[in-house]
Amino acid sequence: MNDLLLMCLIAGRRAAISAARVQSVIEIDQITPIPGAPDFILGLTAMRSQALTVIDCQIALGFGGQDRGSGRRAAVVQVGGHSYALLVEEAYDVGEARSDPIEVPGGFGPGWQMAARGMVETDCGPTLLIDVDALVAGPVARAA
Amino acid sequence: MDDLLADFVAETREMLEASGGEIVAWEADPSDRARLDTIFRFVHTVKGNCGFFDFPRLEKLSHAAEDALADCRAGRREADRGLVSAVLAIIDRISEMIDSIEAGEDHPDGGDDALIAALNPHRDALGMSLDEAHKSPETPQAAAASPAEGKADAAPKAARGASVQRTIRLPTELLDEVMKGVSDMVLARNDLARRLRDAGEHPEIDGPFDRLSTILAEVRSSITRMRMQRLEHLFTSLPRLVRDLSTELGKQVMVDFEGGEVELDREMIEMVRDPLTHIIRNAIDHGLEGPGERIKSGKHEIGLLKFAARQSGNQITLAISDDGRGIDADRLAAKAVTAGIYSQAEIDEMSDRRKHHLIFEPGLSTAEKVSSVSGRGVGMDVVRANIERVGGSIDVTTKPGEGTSFHLKLPLTLSIIAALTVGSGGQRYAIPRSYVEEIVFGSSDHVDFAEAGDRRLVTFRGKRVPCLALGEILGSEGPGSVDWASMTLVLIRLASNDVFALAVDRVYDHEDVVVKPIAPAIMETGLYAGTTLLDDGRPMMLLDLPSIAQTHRLVDEMRSVARTLPEDEQTEQRKARPVMLFTGLDGRRRAVRLELVRRIDTISREAIDIEGSRKQAVIDGAIFSLLGLEYGELPDKRCRLLRLSDGEHEVVYAVSEVLDAADMEGEIVPSSADPAVEGVTLIGGEPVPVIDGHGLFAAQGTARKAGRTASCRLPANSDWARTILEPLVEAAGYRVSTEAEEQTDVAIELVDDDSPMASPARHVIRLRPEPAPAENDDESIYRYDREALLNALKRARVGKTA
Repeated sequence: MNDLLLMCLIAGRRAAISAARVQSVIEIDQITPIPGAPDFILGLTAMRSQALTVIDCQIALGFGGQDRGSGRRAAVVQVGGHSYALLVEEAYDVGEARSDPIEVPGGFGPGWQMAARGMVETDCGPTLLIDVDALVAGPVARAA
Repeated sequence: MDDLLADFVAETREMLEASGGEIVAWEADPSDRARLDTIFRFVHTVKGNCGFFDFPRLEKLSHAAEDALADCRAGRREADRGLVSAVLAIIDRISEMIDSIEAGEDHPDGGDDALIAALNPHRDALGMSLDEAHKSPETPQAAAASPAEGKADAAPKAARGASVQRTIRLPTELLDEVMKGVSDMVLARNDLARRLRDAGEHPEIDGPFDRLSTILAEVRSSITRMRMQRLEHLFTSLPRLVRDLSTELGKQVMVDFEGGEVELDREMIEMVRDPLTHIIRNAIDHGLEGPGERIKSGKHEIGLLKFAARQSGNQITLAISDDGRGIDADRLAAKAVTAGIYSQAEIDEMSDRRKHHLIFEPGLSTAEKVSSVSGRGVGMDVVRANIERVGGSIDVTTKPGEGTSFHLKLPLTLSIIAALTVGSGGQRYAIPRSYVEEIVFGSSDHVDFAEAGDRRLVTFRGKRVPCLALGEILGSEGPGSVDWASMTLVLIRLASNDVFALAVDRVYDHEDVVVKPIAPAIMETGLYAGTTLLDDGRPMMLLDLPSIAQTHRLVDEMRSVARTLPEDEQTEQRKARPVMLFTGLDGRRRAVRLELVRRIDTISREAIDIEGSRKQAVIDGAIFSLLGLEYGELPDKRCRLLRLSDGEHEVVYAVSEVLDAADMEGEIVPSSADPAVEGVTLIGGEPVPVIDGHGLFAAQGTARKAGRTASCRLPANSDWARTILEPLVEAAGYRVSTEAEEQTDVAIELVDDDSPMASPARHVIRLRPEPAPAENDDESIYRYDREALLNALKRARVGKTA
């Protein structure tokens, strides 16, 4: 398996998003909040005259209110015709997957289990492969 | 050309082109069944379509061809060469006629009978081919038929082609793609504009950029027009339908349309046509009562069917309301039990609202008896299914004895809407401008806040409407922390005619925005209808007002609040003759009768155009005559305008400040010194001039039209009536008609005019040319006695409403 992965840091853990899904990685400077929207939706941001829904990956995974790094980098993905910016703590480089995603006995822990497609081996060690669609759906929808 | 006709022409052409190949193939092998079917379908469709239009010749030709082909299909006749030629000749003739129809000309007469006769199988039996038929001396007119005529026609036809507007059909996906591209281009342009602004002045770039912007704006509007059609197109076909149905059912129905300028995707219009027709049938058949029953229940004998359309974000809301008997929830519930859809226990738990929604259940009909138009098993469930199929939704609200409203929400594929941007909690939000009725400052003296339970109410101009703070709705401000007096109130009128006030921190601007859909998770909040980008590139949310009103249960509540309570209050006020106080541009206090004031507008100075004696203001894309300028200069930036209406026309009146509403304490003391002033009245013990509404409108013969009013017929053949009388009558609030046949509320006759009255009017006012009345004439009015004439008109009007 040599799928390309975008390596990033979410909630202090190493994670990866399938690079095929990522349109670009952007630096977010301004977020327009949306009052009344679920917590994990931080608001909207504009990218090249296009509005993106900004998703805080940490909250979307169920790790509410923890200390977040100062990182303002986000991966832009499309789900169901809508564009989202997945805000991560840190976005590193694109790396190659060295294995298929596999389950680990005992699971990955609450939150991760919901949104992870499994663990993949990479050059930087084992990494969780994040399921973009599940992440975008948010914690509520997944729990339901 | 009429749109329907254009569609007919386009469709027939398309079929002609498509069947061209088939025809040739059929000619080669007349026994080919598949080809025969295709051609049969073609003539059949043409025949069917002709029924909608008045094309007897076309219908006759296609009918004859259809009959002949039907015989072949049924095996009663062999398709031979003679028949093929005859049918082909008819198809050619149809094609020529379509050309003539498109050019708006009459197709030269003659030759049709010969063509039809050629279809006759017995001709073949006699051994006569079509060509022989043409040459035959027995049918001299045939010589003038297709071949010769075709040639004679060829030259003018080619010339015609250039002047006739050609149409093509395109797949809608392609249009969608182009449209999406253009709206993205607009966003990119906005982005570029912002960057250019940041970079400072660059004359060498700004010029071309401005040109690009202009071109883009033009392209955008044409692209939008490609797919959009004003709802008027749908509305125009409805009065006829309503008329036919009401005649059939022995009811009298008046139709009222609002929002015909709202544009909807062409395809969507076609999709809602059937459901709408069904709702209309229902409304007329069992919504509206018969005239007798209506009079008994104290209603006007003529029922009212109202259509109101509004655009909000990605949606069009279409409300169809009748003032009939309403839906009987209990009877509906009982039916549902009888039909076995719900158990009595389930019904008992339902709210009335839920019961009303039973009307959308399959297998339910409220019709007592099956009439000729409804109750035939196709119910509201089908309507709902059809609406939902196109991504819309349908809702019903009803009040026993008062009427029923159906609310259709229809999606828009892409929309550029006029929006009002408002601020709350440091954020900007957009409100579709079509909902905005008026903007009022919370600090104004004539705005009062009150509480009823937890519901905040605002009293404005004698009406008490519920009030919501945007901050509270969005949860950015806790309840009770709102400083109401500092808020700006936006009065919102929904398509359902429900009114509420939305309190916002401030109102920014009017803007045209491109609305983009939002992520489902945000949609679920029920607060937003879409998103758009501001010129500075920041995203902004578009508020979903109908849904917000629904969430805060304002849609139902309003029925009782706005209708019953304030009405008493208003009649009381009317007796006291309220006026609106303002300061004119010269800073002096003046008053205007409150009945004349429709709303207060604040517009920027650029929207006002003054050139010589022509003074006009542009508000919401409409031009109004601007008055009140004689007192001073307009302010540089924001101009306050009173929009005055006499029921038919609207003008705007510039003021420097709107003060308050007040009651006139005494009589108006007439003043003849200033023609613009009706008189002076006392308000709070001080004299205040009241501006002369009649004078204002009399001077504005061509002011903007609004609403419908009583009609008055004037003598058609008198210049005096047209130039002098007409403005006066219009200023008195009448619609002027010179049609002799029209039945009007009032007719004005000239005594010295001997042309007979053609049609009766409810009131007749006679004018005489001499100041002194002639003998035996105690009814006529001297034609320059303005006072008496206006009084007579007023009396006629009161008589009409009484």
